[in-house]
Amino acid sequence: MEKILEVKDLELSFHTFAGEVKAIRGVNFDLLKGETLAIVGESGSGKSVTTKSIMRLLPEHSSEFKNGHILFNGKDLTKLSDREMQKIRGKDISMIFQDPMTSLNPTMTIGNQIMEPILKHRKVNKTEARKVAIDLLRLVGMPKPELRIKQYPHQFSGGQRQRIVIAIALACNPQILIADEPTTALDVTIQAQILELMKDLQKKIDTSIIFITHDLGVVANVADRVAVMYGGKIVEIGTVDEIFYNPQHPYTWGLLSSMPSLDVEEEKLYAIPGTPPDLLNPPKGDAFALRSDYAMQIDLEEDPPFFQVSDTHSAATWLLHPDAPQVEPPLSIIERMKKFPGSRYFTGTEGGTN
Amino acid sequence: MAEKLLEIKNLKQYFNQGKPNEVRAVDDISFDIYKGETLGLVGESGCGKSTTGRSIIRLYNATDGEVIYDGVNVHDKKSKSDLKIFNRKMQMIFQDPYASLNPRMKVLDIIAEGLDIHGLVKTPKERKERVVELLETVGLNREHADRYPHEFSGGQRQRLGIARALAVEPEFIIADEPISALDVSIQAQVVNLLKELQEEKGLTYLFIAHDLSMVKYISDRIGVMYFGKLVELAPADELYKNPMHPYTQSLLSAIPLPDPNYERTRVRKSYDPASHNYQDGEEIAMREVNPGHFVFCSAKEFEAMKALSRA
Repeated sequence: MEKILEVKDLELSFHTFAGEVKAIRGVNFDLLKGETLAIVGESGSGKSVTTKSIMRLLPEHSSEFKNGHILFNGKDLTKLSDREMQKIRGKDISMIFQDPMTSLNPTMTIGNQIMEPILKHRKVNKTEARKVAIDLLRLVGMPKPELRIKQYPHQFSGGQRQRIVIAIALACNPQILIADEPTTALDVTIQAQILELMKDLQKKIDTSIIFITHDLGVVANVADRVAVMYGGKIVEIGTVDEIFYNPQHPYTWGLLSSMPSLDVEEEKLYAIPGTPPDLLNPPKGDAFALRSDYAMQIDLEEDPPFFQVSDTHSAATWLLHPDAPQVEPPLSIIERMKKFPGSRYFTGTEGGTN
Repeated sequence: MAEKLLEIKNLKQYFNQGKPNEVRAVDDISFDIYKGETLGLVGESGCGKSTTGRSIIRLYNATDGEVIYDGVNVHDKKSKSDLKIFNRKMQMIFQDPYASLNPRMKVLDIIAEGLDIHGLVKTPKERKERVVELLETVGLNREHADRYPHEFSGGQRQRLGIARALAVEPEFIIADEPISALDVSIQAQVVNLLKELQEEKGLTYLFIAHDLSMVKYISDRIGVMYFGKLVELAPADELYKNPMHPYTQSLLSAIPLPDPNYERTRVRKSYDPASHNYQDGEEIAMREVNPGHFVFCSAKEFEAMKALSRA
């Protein structure tokens, strides 16, 4: 499949009073046309910073690209001027933010807010733009769009506001849509509606989505591929099945085991001990080693490289090195691996799963 | 288990009563909480679950109904000293660990506030020792006592909130979305801590949340609320295996699970309150369909559910 975005060796730091915070420490990934890539990780793992750097939304005076490129249509986004970036932002790449309560302007009618990117990026007059806005509202499932276009954000519920934010993001048929925890502030039933809407729209307008979340249930629902971030780096990346049924990195194991499942009885929930690393002084070696039950001496000394598990799946952990001892993952992970053909715990018959 | 600690009878909490903008946040709900159990309360935002918790602990004065704690009605007129005794038995852990700790107070004083009010410690030294002991109970240590809340992470702050609630040795704790603001891996730490404390101290919890998978994990029984009404109440496993009220069914069908194969086949049910088609004069009430499994339904629906669960 065609690559639409390429992030290569990206390193980014923030300059703070306390010193240099190395928020992103070498991130590599590609985004393919029409796919949904989910980025998961704890707060502070760098997932939002990664996407904000793609959008160039980080404060210029305190953040600095240390290394790497973000290639989009042959252009390196890290090198563009503000003016050039403005032509891309909201047109080719657009973004849905976490909190629909604060990402809309309370003093503008939603019609004007939806028309704003249309008037800016497309060569249309106001009447036409209004028509497009009404169509967009209808597309995201808003009843009576002709009437509601004249209303203000406070006249809408949280779920409706998120629909409006999605309409704004889709106004110029973007090639990439970045959704930063779009459903975290919403109730489960509303969340389900918004996820269904996003998947439906993706099929209609054929856009690629980068979906940031810490809810693994949502990831399993929307993602084609998953990247797991920890301490400013991607530690594991693969297809959704590979990450959920054949995870290799101890951090991914920890994340998956700390979710209670609805059907299995557990006495004690697995909790990853400790707290995320301090990126002012990033730890040497594998950043997760200090919290991991599977850490080896080398994890404290040297950064693990990516080891290829399959064509689409790789993980940065020394456990995959040919010389590493074979370890038993946690029980709940072994349960998951039993469902995955190609894993050493696979118990199903050939082609008999799903 | 069988001993009732708390009886909530026909509790009503209306805001702006009698005015055009009257809100019936909690509308005539009744349930019991047994000694030593965890009762989970779930529902969408605005369904009245937090208001229920706040009315029980008398942060609001109930519009109508009774909350009977150990045989005493919480909402009766009480003298200050009676109220104090009651306040010691019941404590609350709040949702937002950033907003529920006074930023200008040291941890020592935050946690010791309850000790001071109830006169539980005599000397400053004893006070400090007790606070350190509480900090250690929740997995923090002595050095943390002299710090301010902003020096702590979200998970640590929630531990402080728990330590503060435990300070006066309560019997009953209302936890209002204690983990909603925390990261997944930290959520598990806090939930495990709450479970351990319950076993150690024989606490009773009312656990309010909208994350249904965590609720199932921590609760013995779960109540589901919808628009100020309790629509279903059942043992945790029973509720998930055999949800009977259509709203519960729709709520459960909306939860995404970390399992891609399940997600590919999950079908979401939507709930339409009009589907009940209740006639005028039909009595809708909590009825016990299976032992311990209550559903808010009409007599007709009750028969249908009974027939279905027998089959």
